[in-house]
Amino acid sequence: MAAIELDGVTKRFEDVIAVSDLSLTVEEGEVFGFLGPNGAGKSTTINVLLDFVRPTAGTVTVLDHDAREESVAVRERTGVLPEGFDVYDRLTGRAHVEFAVDSKEVDADPDAVLERVGLGDAADRKAGGYSKGMRQRLALAMALVGDPDLLILDEPSSGLDPAGAKEMREIVLSEADRGTTVFFSSHILEQVEAVCDRVGILREGELVAVDSIDGLRAASDADATLRITVGAAVGDELLATLRELDGVSSVDHDGDDGLRVGCDSDAKTTVVTTLEDNGVPVDDFSTREASLEDLFLAYTEDSVSAAESFDDGASADEDATTEGTEVPR
Amino acid sequence: MSWQAVARKEFRDAIRSRWLHGSTLFFALFLGGAAALFFGVLLAGSPEGTEAAADPKRVSNLFGFFANLGVFSFSFPGLLALVLGFIALSTSYGSITGERETGSIKLLLSLPNSRLDAVVGKFLGRSAVVVAALLVGFLLAFVVLVATGTQLQLGSFVPQVALTALLGMAFVSIGLGISALAGSNREATLATMGLYLVFAVLWGSISEGIPKLINYAAGEVGAGGVSELTRVKLGVFLKYLNPLKAYETLAAELYYGAARARLVSATFGEQAALGPVLQDSVPVYFSGEFLLLVLLAWIGVPIVVGYWAFERADL
Repeated sequence: MAAIELDGVTKRFEDVIAVSDLSLTVEEGEVFGFLGPNGAGKSTTINVLLDFVRPTAGTVTVLDHDAREESVAVRERTGVLPEGFDVYDRLTGRAHVEFAVDSKEVDADPDAVLERVGLGDAADRKAGGYSKGMRQRLALAMALVGDPDLLILDEPSSGLDPAGAKEMREIVLSEADRGTTVFFSSHILEQVEAVCDRVGILREGELVAVDSIDGLRAASDADATLRITVGAAVGDELLATLRELDGVSSVDHDGDDGLRVGCDSDAKTTVVTTLEDNGVPVDDFSTREASLEDLFLAYTEDSVSAAESFDDGASADEDATTEGTEVPR
Repeated sequence: MSWQAVARKEFRDAIRSRWLHGSTLFFALFLGGAAALFFGVLLAGSPEGTEAAADPKRVSNLFGFFANLGVFSFSFPGLLALVLGFIALSTSYGSITGERETGSIKLLLSLPNSRLDAVVGKFLGRSAVVVAALLVGFLLAFVVLVATGTQLQLGSFVPQVALTALLGMAFVSIGLGISALAGSNREATLATMGLYLVFAVLWGSISEGIPKLINYAAGEVGAGGVSELTRVKLGVFLKYLNPLKAYETLAAELYYGAARARLVSATFGEQAALGPVLQDSVPVYFSGEFLLLVLLAWIGVPIVVGYWAFERADL
């Protein structure tokens, strides 16, 4: 059964289209990563799920409820860590969690939840004095109250140090083990790679890819890179021959004694044998698999979706300088 | 029914604000201090045997104090209303825009609270805070009244406390309505200041101006003028639509009865025209029930309008 179903969702803000004809299904029990550069429409999509903003067109169903008409029913079973939120400065951490307990009308121990997110010691302090990371944990604690069936986390690790991000990841995974569906957005790739069953990549309001990480790797042309240390010089003619091999996308010199070859995994052996057949000894070679970041860039940089595998050079440049291509790590 | 959760949160939040501590202190000084000054000092000093000493001290000496110079009138309930209106407005006008600007509204509405819960909860929470501050002031005044041996007139004093609480709620509602309609804190601040100016200063002149304008317009199109009495009635009717004026008149009625209460703060022109009318009976549209309805409408209408707008807004 689907936990989240978006069908043809479009959101227009005055003259800006934030999300365009987005259709997406997240299955129950799944951990779904929603990736995209800043401004791609991730938060708008999440805001539509929560009825913070209303779509211009399309239907949104969350946990079998219409997100617009039955938003309270949706939020009764959903824990949310919103993006760009703030705490109530004058209320203590415990008062925040008590507010969540009251609102959800559940019987939960605020201290236990605060302990779980690592705020046990700060429960009696006013949240106005919390750091960014503590505020993030506090919102997570409020989200976890009442064991929700769905967790919606918008940029959950922003403001957290590496240890905090790791704890956040562990909490997400333990919730997923419990059967909770997790939908989270991020531009931090390792995080997605570490916890997600599937990812969707959003770019300028459009969903450009939805797949498992392996699936994305296979579909994308961000291939493995092969580095070969050669024992003799490689002439231009041989380079041209290599470039024409099946499954090879690029061949370049890498220093005096090296070659960098972009190719499918299957083509690796052919490249090496071709070199040796032409009298160039191969001393060593290593491969690096395309990282998620490469995939991400491949999907978000090109103005034509990489999945459609148009030839590389033609259209990539015009978008290469947009803000969104900066990927902080 | 999670409006209780929101109301509790609002109350817990607002009760820790320095603004509230300040207004509570202010009410305590204002109500308690005025009572102490009036009954403890001014009326206590009357020498034996004079008329003032023979006349026992009554609550109405202060809480029903009206002075009328014809064009300008002053009353203690009127002053209290002005102060309370200001404090209640400032307690609520930022309650939604503020949360929208900081982003804490996202926490509030991530939880299973509907937008109606949010508006109702905020109204009740903030009202509770204003009423609590007010009650502290009245309680202190009451202590002073007892201590100075003032005749308590509880039948008038207690309803006045209740009326004052209603007025506070009306202005909390007005501020909340503004907050729901405004796009930013700045907008809400300006709108609140403008509206306060209208209620406190301009409403009277506008109310007197409208009948004159109608009369003038009627004369221009040759429909003949409207009678003096009708014009005065319309003018006073419009004045009573102001929550401050409705409250002031109702408070006067508690101490002076219906007919005199309509005249204690009226201009000489109004007194001359309305005096004979009120002698017979108070018309429905000037009645205490009607004025109470006006006050209740000022509690209900702004939050309904505010909710209507907030429900439709993207956060």
